[in-house]
Amino acid sequence: MSEERETRIFMISPDSMITPDQLVREVHAMGKEVTAKETCYGTLVEGPRPLVGEVLAIIRERYPYDIYSKVRAYPTGDRRRCRAEHGTRPGYAQLEAEWEMLPLIQHGIRCSENGERPAVPKEKEKLPLEEFKKICEAC
Amino acid sequence: MIKIAQLSCGSEYSSVQYEIEKAARSVGAKMVYPDVSYADVNNAVKRFGFNPRSPQLKLMIARAVQLADEKYDADAVFISTCFRCAEAALVRNELRRFIQDNTRLPVVTYSFTERLKAAQLLTRMEALVTIVSRKDLLARERQTGLTVGIDSGSSTTKALIMENNKIIGKDWTPSGDVVQTATTVLENALKEAGVEFKQIEAMGVTGYGRFTLGKHFNAKLVQEELTVNSKGAVWLADRQRGEATILDIGGMDNKAITVRDGVPDNFTMGGICAGASGRFLEMTSKRLKIEIDELGKLADKGNWRNAKMNSYCSVFGIQDLVTTLSEGKTFEDVAAAACHSVAEQVYEQQLQEIDIRRPVIQVGGTSLISGLVTAVGEVIGEKPIVPPNSQYIGAVGGALLSSGFL
Amino acid sequence: MKVFIDPPNSLILFDLVERFGHEPLGTMAPIQERIDKTEVDMPPMNVSLDDVVKGLKYAGVEVPSGIRGRLALWGPLIEAADAALIMEDPPFNFGCVGCERSNEMAKYLIRRRGIPALTVRYPDDKEEAVMTVGRIKEFLEGLK
Repeated sequence: MSEERETRIFMISPDSMITPDQLVREVHAMGKEVTAKETCYGTLVEGPRPLVGEVLAIIRERYPYDIYSKVRAYPTGDRRRCRAEHGTRPGYAQLEAEWEMLPLIQHGIRCSENGERPAVPKEKEKLPLEEFKKICEAC
Repeated sequence: MIKIAQLSCGSEYSSVQYEIEKAARSVGAKMVYPDVSYADVNNAVKRFGFNPRSPQLKLMIARAVQLADEKYDADAVFISTCFRCAEAALVRNELRRFIQDNTRLPVVTYSFTERLKAAQLLTRMEALVTIVSRKDLLARERQTGLTVGIDSGSSTTKALIMENNKIIGKDWTPSGDVVQTATTVLENALKEAGVEFKQIEAMGVTGYGRFTLGKHFNAKLVQEELTVNSKGAVWLADRQRGEATILDIGGMDNKAITVRDGVPDNFTMGGICAGASGRFLEMTSKRLKIEIDELGKLADKGNWRNAKMNSYCSVFGIQDLVTTLSEGKTFEDVAAAACHSVAEQVYEQQLQEIDIRRPVIQVGGTSLISGLVTAVGEVIGEKPIVPPNSQYIGAVGGALLSSGFL
Repeated sequence: MKVFIDPPNSLILFDLVERFGHEPLGTMAPIQERIDKTEVDMPPMNVSLDDVVKGLKYAGVEVPSGIRGRLALWGPLIEAADAALIMEDPPFNFGCVGCERSNEMAKYLIRRRGIPALTVRYPDDKEEAVMTVGRIKEFLEGLK
């Protein structure tokens, strides 16, 4: 990972009351030398890696269940990725899909922080052919 | 700016996306991606009825549906996927059909490898742009005034002079130095027409050497061969209205173009190997020690079934040919087998990428090889129309379209 | 520890691995490395021709270029990983994970390396979500 630049996506769960605008203002208020750009789902924060890391730590502490994050390869506003330039890249649909799923993850994290123990899922088996045959014959 | 909608899978991970965009830019167009939301994807796949395993192909389907529903505005469509991916090949072809059934947008399909360079896409992109930006010119059905068309192809160079919708002079020669060979055929055509160069009111140039010739002669029309040849073909075959398929088996690459009222709406171009082109027939004639124009007649007398050629490679194909000759097969059967082999490959490589519309008009220099026309007819189930002067399509198209500038 | 995530561009998996104290290995870092290369006049879109050729290490020339390009990004990450976290059947799989064959191959490469790996199914409901996140947390906390 480049030490010079880190671009991070911060995505607000659809269940949260925090708005992208509010999040951007909070990042600005941290007074770090990073840029924050509002997006439909949250914000893109860009700057030297250690500073972006500090922003991440603060956001994690403030909003442990509401906001999720990953790094982004392309810098903010890169023309190759820019939606306004030529429409959405495939990764956009991916982010949109993950955004919709965040409430489930949010719930999972909350419960697991509260000490709920996970059960190992049962593997679903196919109906044995003999049984299926019997059912067919009975119909 | 002309917007070409890109429906693709794998381009960004094959290092070719930049080349695709570069090709579009160089012809004054821009690649765009129809916007879809995540919810659109599942609905579109359900509606389309083909559920591929790869999500990127699902996304392609959703983007095509956006175009069909006119929710996204584009001028043309470029459908492209990785070469050798079976799932993608199925989706690519079915989406091409879907776009043609549901829109009036010109569409081109292409399967790429990582070696794709922008230059390989130029003619295709240029044709898409011509179809969109020169609609009125392409609607032209009659030639007016005194004009000339020059087609500078990879194998031969042709010049043809027209006056008031009639051909009055023409000539062709094997291609050499682009300007020199064009000048020679032009002079001969002028001589036959009995006119002076200074009397010519407009010139249209096409083919590989079009840019050089356009500059040299200060031509009014410099246009790629897909649209120019289509116009020439429908003019020569007198099929200006309605639908048709134009098949041009060239010296190095082949073109299969479907047209509606003389304007292409789908085309494939290329040839993965020389085994499926006129070059293979040239090699065959050399091996048989006959002139290329004798090959067709010879083939007409033979039966390809007697001398099967199993290889699609021009090198191995010639080896097959040597073997069959050494087995004592007749020259006639071998000539027929060579023609059949080319026809079969064109069918497999080109005609699978388009939906053949009747009639099929076979043009280009190879359409003069009667055995090849017979073989194409056998493979597609209907003998193609070969109009008179079929080798002059590009030059006719150039003369016809350039008269639009008068 | 370095944990390869599959799908390698997943925000959710990246977040969880980082949240529970490890370094996630995803597609974003190698792509950034490539596009930030200043010596290249026109930075490539995700991968370069060299990458696709390097992909031959993982799949033969008869394999489509898009698969080789992806494997060229993921292969070295899988080789560098100490563990892997795999989510099966995610309802999202776009971008670099748009090709199902590539995704299958990535999973296979993880298994071939024999590193600790947890495979979870994408949860359908809240109950399953608790189970999934809990298992991920347990797995990541257990990595030493």
